[in-house]
Order: sequence, then C-alpha cells, then structure tokens
Amino acid sequence: MATADSSWFGHRTQQRLQRIALYVTALLITTFVVVPVYLMVVIALQSPAATFAGGQVNLIPKGFTARNFLVLLNTTETVRYFTNSLIVTASSTILSTAIAIAAGYGLTRFEFRGKSIAARAVLFSYMFSPIVLAIPLYVIFYSLGLLNSYFALTLALTAISAPFTIWLMWQYFQTVPLSLEEAAWVRGASRFRTVWDVVLPVARPGYISAAIFAFAVAWNDFTMARIVMSNDDMYTINVGASLFLDRVTIGWGETMAVSLLISIPPFLIALFLQRYLLQGFSVGGLE
Amino acid sequence: MSVSLKNRLRTPDLDGSTWLLLVSFVPLVAFFIVVWVVPIAYALGMSLFQEPVRNPVFVGLGNYVSLLTEPTFWGFLWNSVVYAIATTGLSLVLGLGLALVVNQKIRGGAALRTLMIFPYLLPTLVVIFMWKFILDPNIGVLNQVLENAGLIAEPIAFFSTLTWAMPAVVITSVWKFASFAFFILLARLQAIDPDLYERARVEGATTWQAFRDITMPHLRGAILIILLVRGIWMFNKFDIIYLTTRGGPLQETTTLPIRVFQIAFNEVNFGEATALAGIMFFLLAAAAVVYFRTFAPETEVAH
Repeated sequence: MATADSSWFGHRTQQRLQRIALYVTALLITTFVVVPVYLMVVIALQSPAATFAGGQVNLIPKGFTARNFLVLLNTTETVRYFTNSLIVTASSTILSTAIAIAAGYGLTRFEFRGKSIAARAVLFSYMFSPIVLAIPLYVIFYSLGLLNSYFALTLALTAISAPFTIWLMWQYFQTVPLSLEEAAWVRGASRFRTVWDVVLPVARPGYISAAIFAFAVAWNDFTMARIVMSNDDMYTINVGASLFLDRVTIGWGETMAVSLLISIPPFLIALFLQRYLLQGFSVGGLE
Repeated sequence: MSVSLKNRLRTPDLDGSTWLLLVSFVPLVAFFIVVWVVPIAYALGMSLFQEPVRNPVFVGLGNYVSLLTEPTFWGFLWNSVVYAIATTGLSLVLGLGLALVVNQKIRGGAALRTLMIFPYLLPTLVVIFMWKFILDPNIGVLNQVLENAGLIAEPIAFFSTLTWAMPAVVITSVWKFASFAFFILLARLQAIDPDLYERARVEGATTWQAFRDITMPHLRGAILIILLVRGIWMFNKFDIIYLTTRGGPLQETTTLPIRVFQIAFNEVNFGEATALAGIMFFLLAAAAVVYFRTFAPETEVAH
C-alpha cells in the first residue's frame, strides 16, 4: 500500500494517503455487497409497473406496495412451500443438535481407541459433496418408498449438517472444565444429572452455534430437497421458488418478494444471535 | 489442554456412566451408519452395475472405464478445477482485502463486519435471483449501466454466452463466499499482538515490511485452510451452477457435480452416475489426505 521509500512524501501525507486507500477499499467492497441486497428489497416492495416504467429499471423507489406479496399468496403455493421448509428445517436442526450434544460429550469425556480416526471421519464427511451423497440416498429412499417425505429430507439434511455440529460440540465440550463436573459428582449427583444441570448450561453458546449452523444448512438447502422431494406438494421454498422464473405469470417483482421472505429467518438470526454465529466461524468455518 | 484432559480422564465409575456412554455413542454410530456408511457403500456397489436399480448387470469397472475414456470427462474435470480455483482465489483476495480494512480502526468497521454476514446467510437461491437480475440481458442493471456508459453496444446475456457464463457463475459464487475468507482472516488478524507492530514501527519498518514480516506469517495457516477447504467445497458445489446455467451454454459450465446430476436424472443411468460420484469420492479422499497431513486438524482444541 505504501511506498518502500517513504522519504518521497512526508510521513503525514503518507498516512493520509493510506487512510484514503482504506476508505476507498471499504467503500468499493461495501458497494459490491450492498447493491444486490438493495435491488432485492426495492424490487420486492415496489410494483413492477413502477420498477420498469419507461423501459429502464427505476431503482429509486417512489412508493411501496404489498402487491408482489399478494400475488405470491394468491397465485402460488408459496405458503405451502414455506411450511414444508419450516418443518424440515426445524426437524433437522433439532436432530442435528441433539446428535451433536450426545456425540460431542461422549467423544470429549470418554477415552477409547481410534478417537483420532473418529475425528478424521467426522471432518472428512464435513467436506463431502451433498450431490455425491444425494444419489445413493435417492435410490435408497426410492426403494423404501420414502421419497417425498419429511422424514427422508430431514435425514438427508441432517447428514449434511451433523458432521460439523458434532465437530463443534466436540471442540466446545473440551473447553468445559472437568472440575465443574467433579464438583457435582462429589456431592453425589449422577452423571446424567451432572450433564443436564452443570454441563449443558455451560455449553449453551456451543449448542446454539451448532443449532444455527444446522438451521442455515437446512434452510439454505437446494440440492437435497430438489432430489428427495419430487412431488409439487412437498417442495421446499427453495425448490418451489426456483421454478418461479420459468412461469409467465411470475415476474421479477414476485421473485424478489419471495427472496425477501426466504431471507427473513436468516436475517433474524443474524440480528439476534450474531455473537454465536461468529463463534461458529472461529471453530472452523461454516459451509 | 487436550493432553492434560486425557491424563485426568480416568472416568470415575459412577451411576449412569455406562448408560451415558451408550446414550452418547449409539446415536453417533447409528447415524453414521445410516446416512454415511450405507449410502456410500451402496453407491460404490451400484457403480459396478449397469442399470443397478431395475435390472442389474454386473460390469465391474466398466462404468468407470467408459466415463474416463469419454473425451468430455476431462473437460468437465477441467471446468470443476477452473471454477474451484477462480472462486476460491477471488474470495480469498476480496476477503483478505476487507479483513485488513476492518482490522484497521476505521469508522464504520463494526458495521462493515455485520454487513459481511449477509451474503453468507442469504440462501443461495436468493443470491442467484439477485445476480440473475443484475446480469439479465433485457432488464439487467449491469447491462443498463454499461450501455449508458457507452462501453457496450449490445446487451450481454452473461449466463448464456460462452465467454461470460463461467465468469458470471464465478462472480455470483464469490459474492456469497468471500465472507467465509473474511471472517476466518479477521479472527486471525485480531489475534496478532499489537506490540509486534509497535516494535516494528520503532525500528523503522515500512507498512509493507510490517505486513510481509508480521501479518503474512500469522495468516499463512488460515490462508492454507481457506484454499484447501473452500477449494474442496467449491469443487463439489452443485446448487449455484445448476440454478444459474444448468451447466450450459454448450457444457461450458458443466462441472463434475452437475454431470453427476445429469447422468442420474436426465440420462437415468445410475450406474455411471454412482461411478462418477465414486470418482469424486476418491478425489475428495486424496484432498483429505493433503488436508490431514498439513494440519492434523483433529488435534486442535477450541478456545
């Protein structure tokens, strides 16, 4: 950023130039990040007539309307798709977090051979391609008659999120001092009680991060739902909405309106649980 | 810390220990068998058959041979590599740039950090809608801007032009995933002791020298992780390309994951689809060996 030989400028000039470069970079990247989000929000809340008036895209809003959302409600299955998404996302989040808490505690507190292999297996499956797993799952669900069921999709989504939630809890429980548990044992508490009353409250930030991650994977998923749910009634919102642009009756206004709806749950999480979210990143990133 | 834990962990034999052991491991083992071991073994088994679902005929490695001898296969592999390298590289550059900016005490730094969560949290489909709109040939904002600036005479159909399809897919992906690099690098930057910079400044080091000798060495591990892990994920990415170009135009953006889907559901050939999935599995295994050799990640403990 700065020249190697600073005698060309005075020290203050050099510092000032550096500040300017910093702010310009920040501004460029902010623009790159903000513009698409801005477009989505404005197009979703404006009537298509206003957006496309005069043959050009008008992105300075003149008035807001709920029209796009009403069209979605009245002419599409958005509500149904949304409900499907909520059901499988909630189920998968609970299942994935529960498995992660149980497995994470066991892996931390019990010694056994092959622990390092277990760790590698968990991390290996964390890097796995959903599409590679989806093909055999499709055939297995097909032969068991489980395609188009909440159960199958829940299982498939949990398969994608669990390796990381397990890993996260495994890491997190290692930061919970054993002495806390020992103190409870000495007072005669059973191991179960200890876990329930002592370990879990302390591990709360850990399993909230895990739950957020599992939620994000399931809510964001397209691949698994596209393959496991082939029946129109069972589409999740991502699969259902992905077909909107192919329809003549649905335009950009409705498309951005549905995008805004899909973005609300993650947005609420970012708003209220940001701290836990960043913790998830610091343990090894989220996919 | 993990060593001292291990030494202390002579699990006391208390009520419920055995039960707890069962409760914690049975779900893990059952889950792994049901959703990982069985499907992967099943897929590898299927890959040895022609028409494995309806009318199985054992063909050994026949599916693999016919995949690998098809000249198009290498093109698809190349597309995957290009896509993975381009998206990972650009995300790294962009993420590093912004992490360095936010790490300097600038006004609005905290707001910027919060902002960077958005691309990451927005579902892929939403990101795709945004970029399909921006890059649309008829009403796209980018074409409008470029035309008004006199840079292009004709609007460009970015996602369906041979030259632009791959760059368009890459930009869409980078928009979403640069945050990944950003957060990991920012965490590392904030862990660097400010005294190091102070000392360097006193000794007359320039900004560049401080960056090269202090910042970069601290970031090296994180950068390696981003390159490797993000690279693997992008190599395996299905949804972004499927939802933008379906692998087109003329298979210009067909990567291996897209190809697996096409073979399975368009050509309904589960033998070859699982064989290609098998090839991807072995490629991942090879990458994982590099990952574990480089980092021994399983010995790391969170803090």
